[in-house]
Amino acid sequence: MSEPIAPAGLKPGLGPGPAAGPASASAWAVARHRFLRDPVALISLTVVSAMVLAAVCGGPLWIYSHTTITPDLSQPPSAVHPFGTDTLGHDMLALVLRGLRQSLSIAFMVALPATLLGVVGGIVAGFRGGLVDNLIMRLVDLILTIPSMALASFLGSRLRGVGISTFTLSMVLAALLWTSMARLVRGVSLSIRQELYVDAAILMGASQPRIMVRHVLPNVLDQVIVSVTLLVGTAVLSESGLSFLGFGIRPPDTSLGLLVSNAKDSAMTRPWTFYFPGLAIIVFVLAINFLGESLRRALNPHRVTNDYLDKRRRRSRRRSTGSARTSRAGGQSGRAVPAPPGEPVPTDDLVPADEPLLEIERLGVEFPAERVQAVDDLSLRLAPGEVVALVGESGSGKTMTVLAAVGLLPVGAQLSGQVRFRGRSLTDLDYDQWRAIRGSQISIILQDPMTSLNPVLTVFRHFEETLRALSGHRVADAEVRRRAVELMEAVGITRAPDRLYQYPHELSGGMRQRIVIALAIVPRPQLIIADEPTTALDVTVQARVLDSLEAARASVGAAMIFITHDLALVAGLVDRVLVMKDGRLVEAAPVDDLFARPRHPYTQTLLARVPRLRRGPDSGSPPVWAQAGSEAEAPSGGPGVAASPPPTASARLDQEAGHD
Amino acid sequence: MVRSIALRVVNSLLVLLASSILIFALVSLAGDPLAELRQQDPPVSPSVIAAEEHRLGLDLPLPERYLRWIAGVLRGDFGQSVSPSLDIAAELGGRVQVTLRLVVLAMFVAIVLAVGAGLVSGLRQNRWPDLSLTFGSFVLLSLPSFWMAVLLKQGGIWINQTTGYRVFYTVGFESVPPVTGFWSHSLDLAGHLILPTIVLVLVHLAAWTRYQRAATIRALQADHVKYAILRGLPRGQVMRSHVIRPSLIPLITIVGLEMPGLFSGAIITETVFQWNGMGALLLDALRRSDVNVVLGWLMVSASAVVGFNLLTDILYRVIDPRMRRADHV
Repeated sequence: MSEPIAPAGLKPGLGPGPAAGPASASAWAVARHRFLRDPVALISLTVVSAMVLAAVCGGPLWIYSHTTITPDLSQPPSAVHPFGTDTLGHDMLALVLRGLRQSLSIAFMVALPATLLGVVGGIVAGFRGGLVDNLIMRLVDLILTIPSMALASFLGSRLRGVGISTFTLSMVLAALLWTSMARLVRGVSLSIRQELYVDAAILMGASQPRIMVRHVLPNVLDQVIVSVTLLVGTAVLSESGLSFLGFGIRPPDTSLGLLVSNAKDSAMTRPWTFYFPGLAIIVFVLAINFLGESLRRALNPHRVTNDYLDKRRRRSRRRSTGSARTSRAGGQSGRAVPAPPGEPVPTDDLVPADEPLLEIERLGVEFPAERVQAVDDLSLRLAPGEVVALVGESGSGKTMTVLAAVGLLPVGAQLSGQVRFRGRSLTDLDYDQWRAIRGSQISIILQDPMTSLNPVLTVFRHFEETLRALSGHRVADAEVRRRAVELMEAVGITRAPDRLYQYPHELSGGMRQRIVIALAIVPRPQLIIADEPTTALDVTVQARVLDSLEAARASVGAAMIFITHDLALVAGLVDRVLVMKDGRLVEAAPVDDLFARPRHPYTQTLLARVPRLRRGPDSGSPPVWAQAGSEAEAPSGGPGVAASPPPTASARLDQEAGHD
Repeated sequence: MVRSIALRVVNSLLVLLASSILIFALVSLAGDPLAELRQQDPPVSPSVIAAEEHRLGLDLPLPERYLRWIAGVLRGDFGQSVSPSLDIAAELGGRVQVTLRLVVLAMFVAIVLAVGAGLVSGLRQNRWPDLSLTFGSFVLLSLPSFWMAVLLKQGGIWINQTTGYRVFYTVGFESVPPVTGFWSHSLDLAGHLILPTIVLVLVHLAAWTRYQRAATIRALQADHVKYAILRGLPRGQVMRSHVIRPSLIPLITIVGLEMPGLFSGAIITETVFQWNGMGALLLDALRRSDVNVVLGWLMVSASAVVGFNLLTDILYRVIDPRMRRADHV
């Protein structure tokens, strides 16, 4: 387990990973800019600096020293003694300043060696790996099995003979606190070690220490900086805890922990003796923790996270007014590629308008924050039972189009235009209204079967959930079993009864995607949206999964939108092809026409790529369904088949089940 | 599964063995337990010192001392205490119960609250429940545990004095003399647990809440959540099976790793509330330079920590099917 544990348990906030860290000078400048614009950062930095300054200069400057005994015993705060006095007549402000000085100097003396040890240990462990890594990490584990407070108290008490100094105390704490830093740095170094540029440096003969300093160190630096702040906070808390127990700083010197300890029975009677030293600790640690958090935010800004269950989603999406304006403004943002001159923007009007299943009208999806127009003025219609392909390269807006259609756009997206399904507008539905559509009339298949299924649920539970959601009541296990096995066999899964009780990670990618396909036809939907369903799969199983998909679709007679970037895949599968580029529809044509007479230059480019791909060195691999169009321009090199192949023979599936 | 658990058990025993060596080496090398005796004025006769050295086994070479000590520990004999009347094993046995009661209760309460707060925080990201919980966590993280303990104790005393009733127990883990009768005794113990548990819970709540929040946010981002919504599952079910359940898994590891922290916190809490638990035993032993008690103490706490880590490790395997797969390979 190499989970880095930051001091004070703040690790979960420490950013997504090493790759996000700034490694270049400009990235640091951006981080500094972000930091300086963050009010929390500025306030916490001011507080920390002020307290450090007070600790360093406050003692000598203040009229009383921490050893001065004044005649005022147990005085509450007054003009002469702003923090009051203790029972012996010491000025509390002088004591707190002295305590702050001692606590902070120990904290910094702890943080420095602990950081050095942690960073060196972590980099060496992560970079060298093997035995060295094992030794260092086992040592870390061992130290972590012992309660640090007990060990520190013990060492503190043993060092009493030699006269405990702030230095020895710091070393004891540093020896205990370096472990969290080491874990963190090791984790990051380990992943950097896998990077190509590190390999390159090794191949070029750079020495290991040099690589560690030149390549690894800069990449862990941001996380180290954040951790140091937390480490200082932890050190202050540990030192004051030890002094409180009597094993840290001892009288006549003082520290904040000792002051609280002295006042522990008078917290109610003489609160000033208790609260001022306590507040000094709290304010400092709070400020330094916030400083660390601001640094983390500046160095590794959070990306906006999606919460698809957010109840406010619907409200934020209400932007039907002014839709045309939005999309046009987006169109001028320089991103959209103009349609060929003299040609109108193709609207997809090949389906008779009387009874379309799905009708998208002037759809726009805009990300105002990023100034990106993901989908621009897109219209399409889909007849019942019709199969269309939405083709385009990554980032062309294909996925955004269908996500908009099913109401699941990411955070920050603004929708304009209209989506109608069987004549009903889908633009302003709440979660429960959507449920009557999603998963019952429209099924969606996502790109990556590795992540679509819940890793902690069995296949059976996925079917059970879907069947229960559909029927609205509990479905008997035997019934779930029967339906699930039937559907799984329909999509070509062998040994379905056994697979039913397996977890997703126990199945191959092809198998998982078939399960997703089987789940998709559970409700006998009228529309299936398949978002690059085979892209994440091994080439050798792509064709067979496509077979299963087409067979499944045909069995329920659903219409389908098949999203892909690969024209070769769609030839035998679909009736029509819609080509998208930069958020716009650039061409819409029946599949044969498109292959024969591509009108838009972009379509021609896409088509030109198809034969090249198919003549690749891998052309011996199972053929994808390239349908040779009737005309000469059609991809001729492919060993295509002329029409949608029927569901494949079970023999072939057995073969797949054997090895994928 | 069984094989992998067996492996984990063996591994834990090895860790325990290694930590016993580390503990023994540290404690033996850190100083001479008879230093005070040697420096006494007038000087103690060398024969007395030699006899004491022999009684404590200090005249043997270090490895042999270790072997004798560990062999004794395995038989439940922790060696001689500086104060001859003290039976270390019996003392540790009695006190570990007292401390574990506090630690385990605090841990469960902290987990429940942290999961609740972390889920609310993660699901209401950057809105007022999250912002206030986040600020609260940062404040809690900055509060020294001893300060909090003193404040609660004094607050308890003040409430008792003001109301004239004993609303809170503020001293010890049970009434002196002990209450008789099973139910009254249990009630008495529970009453004494309240304030120390609150302190220990507050110490760990903040970090665990932050962790659960991060885990919840990660879980919300998962593709299978999106897919569950697209399959038309009810919101509550998506939340339960696809967000909350996967998000609970990482916390188990963290809680296991934080066990030593709970013990550290217990030492301070027990000191403030004057419990006769493990904390007081350690501090007394340290003041008396009672090496064998310290050794025994560290061994018992290391065993508790290792045992607990083993438990969370096994639990992790039971809960997360992906971990189970590692066993087949």
